Amino acid sequence: MIAHVAWRLSRRALVNLWRAPLPSLVSVLTIGLALFLGATFVLGLFSAQALLTGWGAQAGVTLYLDRAITDDQGRALAQRIRGDEPQVEVTYVDRATALKRLRSDLGDLAGALDGLTQNPLPASLEITPRVALAPADVRVLAAKLSQMPSVEQVDYGREWLDKLEALGRGVRVFGAGALFAVLGAALLVVANTIRLAVYARRDEIEIMKLVGATDRYVRAPFLMEGALQGLIGAALALGAVVVLQKWLLPQATQAFAFASGTVAPDILAPHMAALLGIGAMVGLFGSWLAVARFLRT
Amino acid sequence: MIKLFHVKKVYPGDPPVLDDITMRVEKGEFVWLTGPSGAGKSTLLKLLFCAELPSSGQIIVGGRNIGRITQGAVPYLRRNIGVVFQDFKLLDNRTVLENVGYALEVLGVSDWDIRDRSLERLEQVGLKHKALSLPKRLSGGEQQRVAIARALVNEPTILLADEPTGNLDPGLTASILQLLFDANARGTTVIVATHDRTLLTRYHKRTIALDKGRLVSDA
Repeated sequence: MIAHVAWRLSRRALVNLWRAPLPSLVSVLTIGLALFLGATFVLGLFSAQALLTGWGAQAGVTLYLDRAITDDQGRALAQRIRGDEPQVEVTYVDRATALKRLRSDLGDLAGALDGLTQNPLPASLEITPRVALAPADVRVLAAKLSQMPSVEQVDYGREWLDKLEALGRGVRVFGAGALFAVLGAALLVVANTIRLAVYARRDEIEIMKLVGATDRYVRAPFLMEGALQGLIGAALALGAVVVLQKWLLPQATQAFAFASGTVAPDILAPHMAALLGIGAMVGLFGSWLAVARFLRT
Repeated sequence: MIKLFHVKKVYPGDPPVLDDITMRVEKGEFVWLTGPSGAGKSTLLKLLFCAELPSSGQIIVGGRNIGRITQGAVPYLRRNIGVVFQDFKLLDNRTVLENVGYALEVLGVSDWDIRDRSLERLEQVGLKHKALSLPKRLSGGEQQRVAIARALVNEPTILLADEPTGNLDPGLTASILQLLFDANARGTTVIVATHDRTLLTRYHKRTIALDKGRLVSDA
């Protein structure tokens, strides 16, 4: 009995969708638009995070060494760091090279260095992460390297990293808040849209209740319709997001120098399943709210 | 079968719609419920099929105290009560057969049984040939016959009719009432609310009269 009742309710849900295509279309488009905005927002957040991490990766660490050590000792230290920290590249800059670079950087003012009787610059090790490191990881790396022998000073652009970290935190907090606001608003809009559809069929609900239908029986086709509308809306949103991610975003990032090289995260099967699942849940929950209000009144 | 003890129904700010109603309807009876407009007839019927709850007093229907049953039990009570309205309450986008079958669908009856039993009821009310028509294509009398078929298709023990002939001409009225008498002859308890006194004089049955919410006669 349960099987044929379930089949009958599913059939009714499909027939109802078919018989009232306009309200169904409005619900589907509303859910699709809300999910598209939400998904685009999440995609934007991930891209911003990737951009910030990319900037963090550019922040290298420079270790200034004791002036008393020889070039051989400096190169040996570089080798040791390469062994301990395979995720970074290490370049040894001897004192003469450092002076040559300074001279080159000063350009026309380089003559000021001619009066020096000895090279005042220390040798240094330039540490560059091979993969993008978060600002916090750069900080940990700098702290660890500062403990190495013969390292007198560590420079890793602390202020810049602090600002980057604060920016990252701000993006995350704002993003989470805005995402909840977008999803909350979407749910309300969806619930109201579905409520209009339910209202249009109040006679049917009244008669169902009159002939002895339980609230669960009355609710079931509406929930199925809601879930189906949510699923179709989510599929539309998914298609639009894929188009945006594969085609529009690469063109947009090319247009902005600061974002070049930033790639939005790939949309994988779990992401697609999550979006479709969220769509079905939004439709289901929206219908539940709409019918519950109607059954109460 | 149906018992009311000192039943009162009041809406806030208004005089009582029903006031101290005590009555009893036995199994298999046919009862006219009469009185002028606003006497409380429709409200009394609504109390019997739980569309409204009494403000005070007790109502027993088929051994169950309506004031004490839970909201979840109401549908199961209604499955034993067929209801017919003046405005038919048919779904315009469903065929006649689907409208009649609606009352069986909620019981979980198979599609095949729904079809057979609905056609059987439609044959009883003389509308088997209109099974696949939409209600809008039928006359008022035919629509009321469909509504009666729907009310009787799951063989309820009680049939309530609220001004079932209110919109119909005298010729059709007789045929509709005959369907209600037939249901009563098969053992269904029938209560018909009407303000049409000519029906009461033409068809002599027990008559309960209400006026301004009070029971004024029972004969």
